[in-house]
Amino acid sequence: MAIIEPEMRGRNPRILDCAVHPAPKAGDDLRAYMPEPWRSRPFPGLQRYFYPAPNGEADPQGATDPEQTAQDVLGSASAAILLPLTRGLLPDADLAAAICRATNDWLAAEWLTRPGFYGSIRISPADPAQAVAEIERWAGDPRMVQVAVTMQSHQPYGQRAFAPIWEAAARSSLPVAVQIDGGSGVEYQSTPVGEGHHYFEWSALYPLNFGVHLASLIAEGVFARLPDLQFVFADGGLDMLPPLQWRMDKNWRPTRHEIPWVDRTPSAYLREHVRFLTRRREGPADAATRGRWLQLADAGNLLLYGSGYPGWDQCDPAAATLGADAEMSAQILGASARAWYRRLAV
Amino acid sequence: MSLHRLARAEEIPPGAMRLFPLGRRGIGVFNVGGALHALNNLCPHAGGPLCLGEVTGTTLAGAAPYALQWIRPGEILRCPWHAWEVDITTGRTVTDPARSVATYPVRVEDGWIVVEVED
Repeated sequence: MAIIEPEMRGRNPRILDCAVHPAPKAGDDLRAYMPEPWRSRPFPGLQRYFYPAPNGEADPQGATDPEQTAQDVLGSASAAILLPLTRGLLPDADLAAAICRATNDWLAAEWLTRPGFYGSIRISPADPAQAVAEIERWAGDPRMVQVAVTMQSHQPYGQRAFAPIWEAAARSSLPVAVQIDGGSGVEYQSTPVGEGHHYFEWSALYPLNFGVHLASLIAEGVFARLPDLQFVFADGGLDMLPPLQWRMDKNWRPTRHEIPWVDRTPSAYLREHVRFLTRRREGPADAATRGRWLQLADAGNLLLYGSGYPGWDQCDPAAATLGADAEMSAQILGASARAWYRRLAV
Repeated sequence: MSLHRLARAEEIPPGAMRLFPLGRRGIGVFNVGGALHALNNLCPHAGGPLCLGEVTGTTLAGAAPYALQWIRPGEILRCPWHAWEVDITTGRTVTDPARSVATYPVRVEDGWIVVEVED
């Protein structure tokens, strides 16, 4: 449940919430949107994480009541982008694609009927052909404003098998959100040296996998070839971007000949192609230091507000903008997102 | 400005480099396809002995996605310290053309290679 101070009630037209997580009331509710043979096929529930959150996750994982969510979220923001979980990677790529299709139909039927809610087209990149077809199925629906994929993957996202998916997204002006969505058991271990024992380790480290996908998208020339392609890292990580970008820029000079399509410093792709959502309050805890770090990380251009409602670690506008000046706060809370989501007219 | 008569022209055939004890770090004379180029042996990146690097070519993006095109063989020098690429014909680094190695006028006079160095 979001805690919204009374003075924050009443829509704030400046705020755009880019990450609200809806979920079916029960995992099996999705089956109503699945044709056979998928409807009767067993598949994992949403409650599948090996690393339970400290207070336990809401069951099911996400907001289940559109009316309540509208009251809570649209109390402070003028619009919200809904980003539901799927079942992450599954051994059966066809089943994963069917779950994504059902999730999209469920979202459109039960949530996107309400003004102020916008949707994400969930796709499973494991089968690029079905992923492209699903993007095209929704591309004409103005309520869908982005594509969403799992952070978990068996290959970094710049690699060529995925190229048709990103082409389809760019063609329809749909940014691609990358969201942690796993726990089904077929993804790689959460660190390259095995599983940490605790949620503490998982939650600190897993979001940093954004760097693997980002470096791959740059190095493989995906951004160079698709000038309209946009990626959104929905689990945050902007606090870790500056050191990563220094490393990439430095390493590029002696290795440019390996990747000649990268014809500028890697960090030069960020403003055109990449955004990060606020997740918790990332960065230094004191406002003055955080303000400097936000400047260093180009947060005015790269950071978009997402509450993470109704998660245990959701982020309110004050936490998201701690240390930012008025201009940067306005960018983070809505102005940058309005410029970024080209299909969003709010 | 001083002129230095360094070697007979045939001593640096196409593809060859010879390093001469001029200046503080030495000056390398390269023969790229018959044209001579004299470069300071001091990489503009971090001061490495640039002229001792590999003479090679470089790449451009090809027409198809992920395709590499091999270009300018024999015209690119790769610093032995940090592998920055330098265009032998201009002295400019490939990734940051604003940074370049010092170059010197070089010509052949009466069969001798002559380099002009500021004092």
